[in-house]
Amino acid sequence: MSLLSVRDLITEFESPSGTARAVDGVSFDVKPGEIFGIVGESGCGKSATCRSILRLFGGASARIANGRITLEGAGDLAQMRERDLAQVRGRDVAFIFQDPLSALNPTMRIGKQIGEVIRRHRKASRAEARAAALQLLRDVHVTSPERRLDAYPHELSGGLRQRVVIAMALALRPRLIIADEPTTALDVTVQDQILRLLKERCDSLGTSIILVTHDLGVVSQICDRMAVMYAGRVVETGAVRDVLDAPSHPYTRALLAALPGQVSRDSQLIPIKGAPPSLIDPPAGCRFAPRCTFAQPQCTIGTAPGLHPRPAAAEGHFDACILNEVSHAAA
Amino acid sequence: MPLLDFQKVERRFPVKRSFGDLLANRKQIYLHAVRGVDLAVHQGEILGIVGESGCGKSTLARIGIGLQPSDGGQVLFDGRPLEGPDREGRLQMVFQDPYSSLNPRMTIGAQLEEVVARYRPQMPRADRQVEVQRILAEVSLVPETALKFPHALSGGQRQRVSIGRALCADPQMLIADEPVSALDASVQAQIINLLKGLNRDKGLTIVFISHDMNVVRYLCDRVAVMYLGEIVELQECASLFAAPRHPYTQALIEAVPDVRRPQSLREPITGEIPDPFAVLPGCRFAPRCPLAEAACQAPQPMQPLDTGGLARCWKTARLLA
Repeated sequence: MSLLSVRDLITEFESPSGTARAVDGVSFDVKPGEIFGIVGESGCGKSATCRSILRLFGGASARIANGRITLEGAGDLAQMRERDLAQVRGRDVAFIFQDPLSALNPTMRIGKQIGEVIRRHRKASRAEARAAALQLLRDVHVTSPERRLDAYPHELSGGLRQRVVIAMALALRPRLIIADEPTTALDVTVQDQILRLLKERCDSLGTSIILVTHDLGVVSQICDRMAVMYAGRVVETGAVRDVLDAPSHPYTRALLAALPGQVSRDSQLIPIKGAPPSLIDPPAGCRFAPRCTFAQPQCTIGTAPGLHPRPAAAEGHFDACILNEVSHAAA
Repeated sequence: MPLLDFQKVERRFPVKRSFGDLLANRKQIYLHAVRGVDLAVHQGEILGIVGESGCGKSTLARIGIGLQPSDGGQVLFDGRPLEGPDREGRLQMVFQDPYSSLNPRMTIGAQLEEVVARYRPQMPRADRQVEVQRILAEVSLVPETALKFPHALSGGQRQRVSIGRALCADPQMLIADEPVSALDASVQAQIINLLKGLNRDKGLTIVFISHDMNVVRYLCDRVAVMYLGEIVELQECASLFAAPRHPYTQALIEAVPDVRRPQSLREPITGEIPDPFAVLPGCRFAPRCPLAEAACQAPQPMQPLDTGGLARCWKTARLLA
């Protein structure tokens, strides 16, 4: 049974030059207690996908044009009225943004901000909320938490701020946390600490996480399953070790081949030629085909291919390359 | 003789004092961004400078190119003290954000020609366009790029233009400050290959500043690790990654996420880079160091390593024994 099930999600953004389908037919499931990674490069639709779940578009003229977003016990979030969705936010599903400074109110002390999240959703006195905030800061290993309660966000370092944001996200014990590039703005030693913290807290509370990142290394560190996105579509999905150790879609393979950590100094890195397509007028067929070294004429016709099990793959490992399908049929 | 030689370079930034501070005659506070850096960059090498935000790596780069003066020590370029940016353009810089470092209202060709005209005045006007085309080809851009404006290019193309513009001055050395940090992985690889090629084919000396250990490991010949304004370790690239000796370098390498492995069970180092205003007499990493003890409070000189490198930790010699 899935905690969250996203089916055929289409999200469109209006722009002066036309309607861009940032998310075009995305489906995935998140199981209870698992960490699900969504990776891809800028503009692939990974952020738009996770923002669609809570309809957090930040003023952009975006709309969910199609699809179901079923949260266990709460129904279809895509059809839900804004007023009801506001109850789901924070209580059932919390969101962690990349930049902790813009996620915090600069004029409010830390303790009060965390307390406010609690008081927004359940009855608690100010003192109770403050005590709960203190415990939350302890849970996320903030040093000298009593003192931090009365600090303002600007007085904290980047890592501490992100811990505070995580404390706020955990405040109502949500069943799912959506974290959009939570460590991208942090230094690598602090990133390591924050990733460990997220995993530890979610393991002990049984919370699921959707972790959105451009960094395949981060996914490899803490995720259980993952989806690779390209130009608004999921091109490969499966258990993290299956996808990263035996990638089957040409895009995933190309992405790994471009990473400098993967090759010896004497061999050349292999960049992906060209640039991602326009989402206003995407090419026919597979969207990666124009950049793909394996592309065949049949790759560039018809609708974008969907996910299918890859040949001889581990269970739950799917990709969207029709050439893999063909070789499967031949075998 | 090193091509670029930092000798005991210091840089302090005065912290702005409020009117109240002036009235109370409070002492001027300084942020000590670079402390006594000794570093020699040799002809033909790619030297990496790594460290986390606020470690002083970008300030050191700006001093090295002559964009900022140092408050103490000196920088020698080709044996002569560097006073401001080199007039012959032999030292060039590439910045992290190619969009803000290009002129949005000039075509790429015009911007590049301007640099050729500035640094190679002996070249006849008619030859400049040919030279610009040669340089565009060198950074793998199509000839039509010369007619475009920066906004019409992708991030990777813009960074190629930035590198091309640096090459227009026919430099001996390039200082690149986080040149691939703003780029997606697939594009990043193009720029890394380009820099590696320029070093290999033209013998261009490159100082490569980055926070990304994977990129540095792939690209650089030698690596200097900075922490709070000081170089804490300097080694050949291969031995730095095979046998990091300073506890900070070890922590930095350990913390890099690896796509081939899930998270290790090892405890990460705690804390963050401390307040840069704090005056620490001894090792500046000691407050976060798992191996710290009382003797770390004494000033730490660089210690020679068996690998031929240097590390600013008195324990390194003992850790080996």
